[in-house]
Amino acid sequence: MDGSQPDPPAEPFTGFPAASPATVGGAWQTPGSFGSAGRGPRLLSGGGRRATAISSASTLVVLGALVALFLVAPGSSQVRHVFFNPTDMWQSFIGNPKKGYYSVGEAIWLNIRMFLAAEVLILGLALLIALIRQSVSPVLFPFRVLSLVYVDFFRGVPLLLVLLAIGFGVPALRLPVVSTQSAAIYGVAALVLSYSAYVSEVYRAGLNSVHRSQTAAARSLGLSQSTTLRYVILPQAVRNIIPPLLNDFISLQKDTALVSTLGAIEANGAAQIYSSTVFNYSSYTVAAILFLILTIPLARLTDRLIDRDRRRRLAGAAT
Amino acid sequence: MLAAAIATALLAACGSSAGATGTAGASPSASATAASCSSAAIGKDLYQRGVLTVATDKPAYPPWFSGNNPSNGKGYESAVAYAIAGQLGFTRSQVHWAYEPFDASYSPGPKKFDFDINEISYTPQRATAVTFSEGYYNVQQALVALKNTPIVTRHTPAELKSYIFGDQVGTTSLAYINSEIQPTTRPKVFQTLNDVKEALQTHQIAALVTDTPTAQYISSSEIKGSVMVGQFPSTGEHYGLLFSLGNPLVTCVNKAITTLRSNGTLAALQKKYLQIYLSVPVIKP
Repeated sequence: MDGSQPDPPAEPFTGFPAASPATVGGAWQTPGSFGSAGRGPRLLSGGGRRATAISSASTLVVLGALVALFLVAPGSSQVRHVFFNPTDMWQSFIGNPKKGYYSVGEAIWLNIRMFLAAEVLILGLALLIALIRQSVSPVLFPFRVLSLVYVDFFRGVPLLLVLLAIGFGVPALRLPVVSTQSAAIYGVAALVLSYSAYVSEVYRAGLNSVHRSQTAAARSLGLSQSTTLRYVILPQAVRNIIPPLLNDFISLQKDTALVSTLGAIEANGAAQIYSSTVFNYSSYTVAAILFLILTIPLARLTDRLIDRDRRRRLAGAAT
Repeated sequence: MLAAAIATALLAACGSSAGATGTAGASPSASATAASCSSAAIGKDLYQRGVLTVATDKPAYPPWFSGNNPSNGKGYESAVAYAIAGQLGFTRSQVHWAYEPFDASYSPGPKKFDFDINEISYTPQRATAVTFSEGYYNVQQALVALKNTPIVTRHTPAELKSYIFGDQVGTTSLAYINSEIQPTTRPKVFQTLNDVKEALQTHQIAALVTDTPTAQYISSSEIKGSVMVGQFPSTGEHYGLLFSLGNPLVTCVNKAITTLRSNGTLAALQKKYLQIYLSVPVIKP
């Protein structure tokens, strides 16, 4: 502590020597810098060896206390048997239809497919709705009203109810083709209807974030309305909304689990079947782990994109 | 006459399988004396002192319950619960009903009821998580379909494999489809039996499998234009009351069930509420 300050008189604030940035480490930032390279607050704040030691010790104490609490709880062994039994976790992961339950590991593949299909459709439908809502042409007035009603309706109705209405209502219509699809298809349809309402609002925020002068400039250069939208407004708007979009998609990945209510055997459904067949919840733990494996990469990607965008903007501001 | 003969046969079957449960079910001390089973003596083991708390799911399906109201004493399981309560010395007003979803009934830790009566089948694997009483009903699975659909007339074991079945999540009926019928297309699995019925009515599934009394009720009263195609041979499955693991109360309840079986109460209640007709054709999986 003392050796690191060879030149005390040079410090401008001499009142309390212990408060110098170098010694207190992570608690203070060097004046004029935003952490490292302008990234804003970070999970692991930079700072001396002592700060690292303190944060590791603190992490160990907190984790240790939580684990100890779990282990000494009176029902701990029963909870561990029912939620974390390795045999049950493995059995539910591989499945055994002859015994009445399916593989959770295989069922997650249905979640992935539903998610991917829904995502593509949502991106398209939501953009269309957002563009209609932003349009100014009097011809499109009825469509503007429709899209407003659409967004209000599907943001307000719980996804589960939309799922049930489509999954059980559409087959009851007994239309050719439309009424004979699989539960997963109805599930994707419900997800698309519900999420498009949210995502269209994200798009709209993105469109609004592009300054009006951009349109004016493009139009004055002789670009048509649609060309302006396509080459000037949309690229800027979409770049601004990538983080919130990905956030919605993380949520979408998890909500594919709701489709099990329609009789599609996705990961959550397979876990529930295992659980109620043998009276053990470890299968849900397996499903949770699989969902984490799916969502964490997307969450980190979102963080990374936010960071990159931040850096770009700061760099842009500096030059 | 014939119905009575069937009931006796049913009882005999009940007795044998229930004996098997007693040994496999890992029940606590089986040495309860007759005197120790009065409502006062078992008071310390009760969830709530002075009352017998019985749980079931919502909706409570007929013919096991009547009018979605377990406390009216109508329907087989409601009547059995009150008969057991009577054996233990509880009056009708001392029986409280609790709501327990099937999915939650086998969670670890203390329960909010003394026992759960909800058409729950005994299996050895399940008995490691909860304690089961002796069987109060012997189950056979039956097939329900809409009239004039192919499965009504074409259901040889080989033909059965080609249909799309549907069932409620986690039931032994679903396990039966997978283990015995072994269809080529995976059965659809729904959260509640009502969802399964809805799927049958909207032609999403060709048939549903459930226990014979429920199948009979669905085809006769619930879904117009549906028919019980037949019942499958017995697999020795039976319904038991569900207790928290190691609950000592099960000893006295088992005694009560044994008494109700030997004095003919169970058979009479089955005849009254479940109406197992003789005309049910047996089909092979």
